[in-house]
Amino acid sequence: MVRMESVRRTLGPGVQFVCGSFHAPAGSQMALWGPSGCGKSTMLNLITGLLRPHGGKVCVDGEEIQGMREAQLDAFRAERFGFVFQTFNLLAPFTALQNVMLGMRFADVVPHGEWRSRSLEMLERVGLKHRTASRPNTMSVGERQRVAIARALVNRPKLIVADEPTGSLDPKTSDAVMDLLLELCREAEVTLLLVTHEKSIAERVPERFDCVGLVQESQS
Amino acid sequence: MTLWHIAWNYLWNRKFTTAMTIFSVSLGVALITAVLTLREETRKRFEEEGQAIDLVVGKGNTLQMVLSSIYLLDAPTPPVPYSVYEQLKKEEDVTGAFPITLGDMAFRFRIVGCTRDLMTFDWEDPRYHPYQLLEGRYFEKPFEAVIGSEVARVTGMKLGTQFVGAHGVVEHTGTPYTVVGILQTSGTPNDRGVFTDLESTWLSHKHGAEEGDAEGEGEAEGEAEHAHAHDEKIITAVLVKLYSPTQRFEFSRKVLREYNAIPVVPVEEIRKLYDQLLNVAKTILLAIGYLVVVISSISILIGLYLSIIQRKKDLAIMRALGASRGEIFGSVLIEAFWVTLLGIGSGWLLSAVVCAGLNVFLVRQIGFAVPPMAWTPDIVTAYSAVMLMGMIAGILPAWQAYRSDIARDLAEL
Repeated sequence: MVRMESVRRTLGPGVQFVCGSFHAPAGSQMALWGPSGCGKSTMLNLITGLLRPHGGKVCVDGEEIQGMREAQLDAFRAERFGFVFQTFNLLAPFTALQNVMLGMRFADVVPHGEWRSRSLEMLERVGLKHRTASRPNTMSVGERQRVAIARALVNRPKLIVADEPTGSLDPKTSDAVMDLLLELCREAEVTLLLVTHEKSIAERVPERFDCVGLVQESQS
Repeated sequence: MTLWHIAWNYLWNRKFTTAMTIFSVSLGVALITAVLTLREETRKRFEEEGQAIDLVVGKGNTLQMVLSSIYLLDAPTPPVPYSVYEQLKKEEDVTGAFPITLGDMAFRFRIVGCTRDLMTFDWEDPRYHPYQLLEGRYFEKPFEAVIGSEVARVTGMKLGTQFVGAHGVVEHTGTPYTVVGILQTSGTPNDRGVFTDLESTWLSHKHGAEEGDAEGEGEAEGEAEHAHAHDEKIITAVLVKLYSPTQRFEFSRKVLREYNAIPVVPVEEIRKLYDQLLNVAKTILLAIGYLVVVISSISILIGLYLSIIQRKKDLAIMRALGASRGEIFGSVLIEAFWVTLLGIGSGWLLSAVVCAGLNVFLVRQIGFAVPPMAWTPDIVTAYSAVMLMGMIAGILPAWQAYRSDIARDLAEL
């Protein structure tokens, strides 16, 4: 599903990201693990096309993304990826239902007539059917992250990228969210790339990729 | 869920700031609308009123002649002999000639000496019924008066009420008038008129002048003209209705050649007044209105710009969810559109309230009311300009959103 070969990206004067080889097979669940600043998030941004590599190849779902035009990449990202962030990143002016629907609004891969029913279905699946009309500021952090998971999965993407999804949660909620995320990805046969600096979280994911050493001093 | 819906939700999410920005736009729009409405509608009403009469024939300042004879606004012009009227009514191009005398007041309303013909004339315009009776009858003999609706309302006079006219500070107490008719409200200057026959005004002046002579006084305003009234019949002006308005200028030339009097086309005088004098006032007020709109546009710009800075995170999320740069640009521009549109809408309503309030004043002062919710080409142009300014104000914040860097903005979360 994801393959990186000899990927290089200059991050600043004398600092660069280098990844010789990385492969995450379709349907796999992998934790990109390492301490803060080791290059986990940079790697995720390169995989999702939010950052462009200065060298090498990034291949997602069989397509090389480093050469795509921006509009092409926007559409590709909307269609193939689902995002889960550390701080949930729900949009405050919208209800839980609308936040989930927004995932489909921009992706344009689901017929308009199905937006509502599919969003309701996802909210029910994450246990929040009773909170569809609630705005994010009236929900607990655990509920917000579950809405974010519903939004990430509603388009039935090929790949879920989760950047520190439990970073803002207490241990109990964190466990519940991890269980839900792993279960839903397994059910939908979606590849999961999860970035975390917590070893205990990384250990819950079947496969792990150690990111230590990805950020290095450049030779020039 | 469309971009319009998304933009609306963001505006709703910061209600207070949005409401204040809309309010500032609406102030400018209201000022512009009120100026344009009042200017255009009063001009239209003045012209409609002026159209009924093709010519005013009299002496003195032409604008004063029109304002006093038709709109009952200014001081009367110097008199002309009654014979001018007698000559005019015999002209073959004239379908109606109506002598009037002005000079006296009842309370603060102008007493108009006229003939019954003026009140019963068929004006051939179904919309123009300025002398229709609400109650009573038209005058039949001297010192009977028909009063306008505003006069009746303000003074409380009813049928049978007696009152005296006054010339300046001199009251003609010896010749009281009796109200025999009250006119329907016509939205014309007639609402503020007190109509009586010519004979009444001549008799009251003669009586007043004799009293003045007896007391050795007589230096009040217009006494020179009064002296004439002792000996010959005089009138202030003749209102002339021609068979066709197209004859106005040709007939004017004839009057200039053959009469010792000046002909004036009322509509032309009013146009001149508006073009020369009131245009300056209109331009100044419009400039103020547009200045307010420009300031409002700057507040739209600042409001949206600050909101974009605060919403960098949301924009980055939308981009991560697949929104294109164009969609982000569009959604911000739509916010500017909503604010400007609502500003225009509320400004239009505000101006309607202002105009409705001003109508009370206008009716009392000049007898006209203007429609508070008028549409003129000038207003449409002004609203288009305001909308354009609002959209221009939205471009910079929209551009700022357009060129946001998702990876950096997401990293800052």
